[in-house]
Amino acid sequence: MRRLRAFTSLIVIVLIAASALIYTVISDNKPLLGLDLQGGVSVVLKPKGTAESSAIDQAISIIRQRIDALGVAEPEITRQGDNILIQIPGVKDKDRAIDLVGQTAELQFRPVLAALPAGSQVVPPSDTTTTVPADATSTTVAPDATSTTVVGSGEVGLGMGASVGELAVGSNSTPTTLSDGARELAQAETTTTVAAVAAEAPAVDAATVGAEPTAADATAADATAVDPSAADPAASVDPLAVDPATGGLTDAACATTLSSDQLNPTGDALLPQCKDKRLVATYKVGPVGLTGSALDTARANLGQSGQWVVAPVFKDNADGIGKFNGAAGQCYAKSATCPSGQLAIVLDGQVLSAPSINAASFKADQIEISGSFDERSAKDLATALKYGALPVEFEKQQAQIVSATLGRDALHAGLIAGLVGLILAGLYMVLFYRILGLFAVLKLGIEGALLWTVISYLGTNNGLALTLAGITGIIVSIGVSLDSNVVYYEHLKEDIQHGRSVRSATDRSFVSAFSTIVKADVASLIGAGILWWLTVGPVRGFAFYLGLSTLLDLLTSWAYMRPVVKFATARAFLVRRPGILGLPAERTQTTRETGATGEPTMSGANR
Amino acid sequence: MSVLGRLNRGETNVDFIKWWRRTMIASAVLIVISIGSLFLQGLNLGIDFKGGVSWELKAPGVSVDEARTALDAVGEGGAKIQIVGTDTLRVQGPEGTAEHTIEVRRALADLAGTDPANVSVSTVGASWGGDVTKSAIRALVFFFIAILIYLTIRLELRMAIAAIVAVFHDVIISVGVYSVFQFEVTPGTVIAFLTILGFSIYDTIVVDDKIKENDRLVGMNTRMSYAQMTSLSMNQVLLRSINTSVVSLLPVVSLLVVGAGIMGAVTLEEFAIALMVGLMVGAYSSIYIAAPVLVLLKDREPKNRAINERLAAQGIDVNAAVDRAAVTAAAAAGTRRSVATPSGTASTSTGASSPSTGVIPPRPRKKGRRR
Repeated sequence: MRRLRAFTSLIVIVLIAASALIYTVISDNKPLLGLDLQGGVSVVLKPKGTAESSAIDQAISIIRQRIDALGVAEPEITRQGDNILIQIPGVKDKDRAIDLVGQTAELQFRPVLAALPAGSQVVPPSDTTTTVPADATSTTVAPDATSTTVVGSGEVGLGMGASVGELAVGSNSTPTTLSDGARELAQAETTTTVAAVAAEAPAVDAATVGAEPTAADATAADATAVDPSAADPAASVDPLAVDPATGGLTDAACATTLSSDQLNPTGDALLPQCKDKRLVATYKVGPVGLTGSALDTARANLGQSGQWVVAPVFKDNADGIGKFNGAAGQCYAKSATCPSGQLAIVLDGQVLSAPSINAASFKADQIEISGSFDERSAKDLATALKYGALPVEFEKQQAQIVSATLGRDALHAGLIAGLVGLILAGLYMVLFYRILGLFAVLKLGIEGALLWTVISYLGTNNGLALTLAGITGIIVSIGVSLDSNVVYYEHLKEDIQHGRSVRSATDRSFVSAFSTIVKADVASLIGAGILWWLTVGPVRGFAFYLGLSTLLDLLTSWAYMRPVVKFATARAFLVRRPGILGLPAERTQTTRETGATGEPTMSGANR
Repeated sequence: MSVLGRLNRGETNVDFIKWWRRTMIASAVLIVISIGSLFLQGLNLGIDFKGGVSWELKAPGVSVDEARTALDAVGEGGAKIQIVGTDTLRVQGPEGTAEHTIEVRRALADLAGTDPANVSVSTVGASWGGDVTKSAIRALVFFFIAILIYLTIRLELRMAIAAIVAVFHDVIISVGVYSVFQFEVTPGTVIAFLTILGFSIYDTIVVDDKIKENDRLVGMNTRMSYAQMTSLSMNQVLLRSINTSVVSLLPVVSLLVVGAGIMGAVTLEEFAIALMVGLMVGAYSSIYIAAPVLVLLKDREPKNRAINERLAAQGIDVNAAVDRAAVTAAAAAGTRRSVATPSGTASTSTGASSPSTGVIPPRPRKKGRRR
């Protein structure tokens, strides 16, 4: 019965390996090649000084946005300890990519000069001075002096993963009075003031405002009404920026990353706001009034009316609340530097929120941003504000551009070297252990099928890339796998030389050999695990595949090697032919038997 | 028949006790050389440890001089220029501005008549290599501790200590090889060394397991000391150790010769040299370092000290060579008591001569095998 069970495991493992292989072929899973094999860009960023863990996570999401805007297929951004490993395979503008990922994301407070919803049209600069409706001011008067409310438009930028809804809605009153009237008012105001944007846009950079047909059609209509004939000829100079048919701008704005001009702290900037690569609005903002360093912390609270609000706390000094009041005061007064009365909170070009200011001055810890927040968006904004106080600066520890040709060459070399190594080691095993050696090679085949499945699965579904270091790890693991066979076979030989019958030695040797294999493999696993845990970059790939193949070795040693050797040693035909089986002859009766079969034994040849 | 034949049939009878004295001295000398070389000329640290920029491209037929002339024009005349692998041009210089890096890249592409996209560029901050080393050393320390605990549980404390000593020995000598021959040390090398530790431990565990299995042979009845038992165990695992090392080495050699040598993939070389050095040192140390260190430790145990004293009092040389055939025969006969240790005179019979000492009844003739 035990033998039957042993063979069950053999059938099971072969079936698993076969179906794994079939699964991989059918599901079209393919290994994801690391960029050292297919060419691309790799950067390792290390925070300068110490950084809080969640601040690094936030930095990662910012970097991801920047890379996504490059339109790269599968960027891999992983966090390893405090380091961030960024791998961008097959990117075209490699230098730009390297440049982008290292820039520090700074939280900025900038006065909103204009907010342009998607679909708006550009109007000539001469309209700049028009209409800040008097009503607008009256609706946004602060109702209560003690609990000052900075009213937010409620939307949170992409960086925080929240939806960008009504970006155009800039100014409104307290949340409860967010009426349609107020909205339209805001839009009217917006469209008029945008004129300034259009004039300067091409000069600033890719003036990139996209027209999204589905979004805010009412707004679009409004905008057209303001100045239907207004396509600024200067704007069309930049082909990327302007859609000549509508005079508006295209979603292309979302496919480019912000240039340093757009993040320029001292001048005006035009910030496209995108969602799912569609443009939803554009903010024209003035110079940076203050940065996140003015903030002390921030919290998300449930306000009195049961709505979520965000409460930033500024530093209680001239650089903190002092600067904020300076900027807020201008907005409250709707002076030329802040005509909209809104102060945008900008992180890496994303306008997280653009609350209207409804008091002339604030106390450091009595500020509230309210609006249509839900719990998540409020908390996201609070987090951004909190870590904005301590922006994580990164240094590029390593930046690599791998050419596609060198990568391909390395891949070929690795594969061929692996194949040759496999053949050599396999030949050695077969020469030494005959049919048992062949079983060892077949074991490699089963492990290979399983390994290929795992690599392909992880490559397709988890974005785990196979790097050159990983290939090296796999090649090295050929040795690990064959070692287990050697340990077992030598144990078997020894037992037989000690006078056991082949059949009884098979079981007995396996028990003690397997215990040796487990001990040794576990030690290897400990090593691989520690490597994986404590290291960065390519080392991890190496450790991962070495560990994985060690695990597979344990599995196949038990489920495949044991039954298959048992099967062979149970064949009297093979036991009588040590030259085929690869085990010494049994010491007792076998000698006579083989003599009787007339096999050309070489008695006396030992001496 | 040949030594290999005897090895295959499990008939080797190497007097490891004698060899251990020599190998311990040899290893001590190697360690002194390694440490000396480390102090005198240090390691040839790659760009990753110093910081800088490295450009790499396939440039068949371009000579170092041509490259230098071309690079002079962009102000990189002083850069380190190498032809690595078969036709890969590698230029290494100090870190410069991004524009300069691009300029050099274009110059190199022009030189080789190819597109700048075919030039690989690696910019490394000075702290990168240091960080890799730091994390490697941390990994090493954790590895030592974890293995010490694991082996103490699975085997025994003294074996764990001996194994760690052997691994330590491997690391020092491997680093020594890199220092003496001034091979370039890259993060890849560091990784490979860490892998080696696993291999070294693997071999040592195979050996230790055998020793533990033979533990019962030590004692008055068998007239065998711990040293002799260990030596016997070494003979029994010799082929196992050789074969595991060979099958591990073959793929690595293939990486070095086929991958790096013939195909010219430089990155493979970094791994392969370190792996090969480490594998060989690791295989050696499990038999020639871990085992004698274990014997040294075990001989201090009161139990073994008593056995040694009593055996010595009976005029038996506790360090004499053991006749493996005798033990094998005894095992075959299913007895344990009749195993005799040959006296001092017999210790001259090393593995090269016939293991027969006359004490043992003739072994049943074994069938020859076609090899």
